[in-house]
Amino acid sequence: MRLRIASQGSIGYVRWWLLAVLLLPPTAGLAAGPDFPQLTGRVVDQAGILTPSTRSGLTEMLAQCEQTTGQQVVVVTLGSLQGYPIEDFGYQLGRKWGIGEKGKNTGALLIVAPNERKVRIEVGYGLEGTLTDAASRTIIEREILPNFRSGDFNGGVIAGAAAIVTLLGGNPSAAGAPPNERATNGFEGSPWTMLILLAVFIIFLMLRNRFGQRSGIGRGMGAYPPVFFPGGGFPRERGEGGGGFSGGGGSFGGGGASGSW
Amino acid sequence: MSLKQLPSPARLSIVALVLLGLSGCGVNTLPTLDEQVKAAWSEVLNQYQRRSDLIPNLVETVKGYAKQEQTTLTAVIEARAKATQMTIPADILSNPGAFHQFEQSQAAIGGALGRLLAVSEKYPDLKSNQNFLALQSQLEGTENRIAIARRDYIGTVQTYNTELRTIPGRWVASLLYPNLKVRETFNISEQAKEAPKVTF
Repeated sequence: MRLRIASQGSIGYVRWWLLAVLLLPPTAGLAAGPDFPQLTGRVVDQAGILTPSTRSGLTEMLAQCEQTTGQQVVVVTLGSLQGYPIEDFGYQLGRKWGIGEKGKNTGALLIVAPNERKVRIEVGYGLEGTLTDAASRTIIEREILPNFRSGDFNGGVIAGAAAIVTLLGGNPSAAGAPPNERATNGFEGSPWTMLILLAVFIIFLMLRNRFGQRSGIGRGMGAYPPVFFPGGGFPRERGEGGGGFSGGGGSFGGGGASGSW
Repeated sequence: MSLKQLPSPARLSIVALVLLGLSGCGVNTLPTLDEQVKAAWSEVLNQYQRRSDLIPNLVETVKGYAKQEQTTLTAVIEARAKATQMTIPADILSNPGAFHQFEQSQAAIGGALGRLLAVSEKYPDLKSNQNFLALQSQLEGTENRIAIARRDYIGTVQTYNTELRTIPGRWVASLLYPNLKVRETFNISEQAKEAPKVTF
C-alpha cells in the first residue's frame, strides 16, 4: 500500500526509500547485547572504585602472571550490568575481549559490579581445571567478600586477584621485578615464534606490495602491531598503562563462580 | 557442438556448475555450518553429562544430613535414571519428537535438583559442609555452562537453518547435500520456565 503511494512520486525517490528500508533493519533488528567497556588494559575500572596505585599494582601483578604462566587475567569493574545477570554479562565480555590465548582459552576475568553488589570470577575453557568453580567460590568467599562487606574495594580486588594469580602458578608478590628483565623473558623461550612472526611479517609485506594500495613499507610497522602479536605470552605491556594490551582470542563457557555482598 | 547435442547428464552438470557459480562459491558453507551445529550439540550433551555425573555425590552428601528428605532425593535419582535410560537416536537433531523428549528429561533433572537444593537450605549443618559447598558451586557452574551451551547451540542452528532455507544455500543443498535437514532447536522460554533457581 505504502509502495503504491510512493510510486506515484518519482521513481528515484522510491528506489532510495526502498534501499533505506532494506539497509536499516539488519542493524536495528539484531538482538541487542549488553554494551561492553573498552579493553584499555589489564585493569578496566569503569566503575571508578580503584585508586591509581591499586590499578598500577594490579597491572604489574597481572602482567607478571602472563610473563611467567602465559595466562591472561583481567580485572574489570562495571558501572552497570545493564539488567543482565553477572554470569550472562561475564562470559560475553570474556568472549568479546578474547582474554586468554587463542586455542588454549587460558584467560580469566575478575568482574566487580559495585552497584549491583555482585562479583564474579569468569574462567576460560582452558583454565576450568585449575581455577575450578569450587576454587573460584572459595576465593570469592574468603578473599574478596569480607573486604567488600567492610567497604574496602581496593583490598578485596587485590586479595582476589592475588589468590587467582597464586592458583594459576604465578607469584603475586614478584610484581616489582625490573621492567627490562621481564621484557626479555617473554622472547627467550620462543626463538621459533620469533622466526615465524618474522616470516609472516615479510610475507604480509610482499602480499601488500603485490596487491598494493599505497606503499607498503613506507608506512612502517607501527600501524599493525595487533596483527603480529595475537597470542598470549608476549610482553605487550611494559610497566603501567603502557597501552597495546589486547586479548589473545580465548573463549569462555561459563566456568567460575559468583558472589554478592 | 552446441549444448543441445550433449547427453543429458552432461547438460545437467553444466547447468549445475553455472548455478553454483552464480551462488557465489558457497559450496562449503553448509557443511561448515553443519559441523558447527554438531560441535555445539556435543557441548550441550557434554554439559548435561557433567551435571548428571555430579548427582550421585550430591545425593550421598545430602543424605548424610537430611535423611527425612527421602522423596526429594528419590525424585532426583529417578529423573537422572530416566534421562540416562533414554537412548538418543542418531538423527535427534532433525527429529522433533526425540529432541523434545530429550529436552524434557533434562528439564526434569533440573527441576528435581532445584528442589533438592531448596530443601537443603533447612539444614545448617549441611550448608556448612565443605563437600556440599563445593558440590553446590560445581552444580551452579554447570547449570551456567548448560545455559551457555544451549544458547551457543541455538545460535549455530539459527545460522545453519537460515543458510539451508534461503536462496543460494537452498540451491546448493538441493544439488549437493540433499540429506541435510533443518535442525531442531531449544525453546528458550521453556528453559526459562523450568530452569531451577539456584540461589545461595
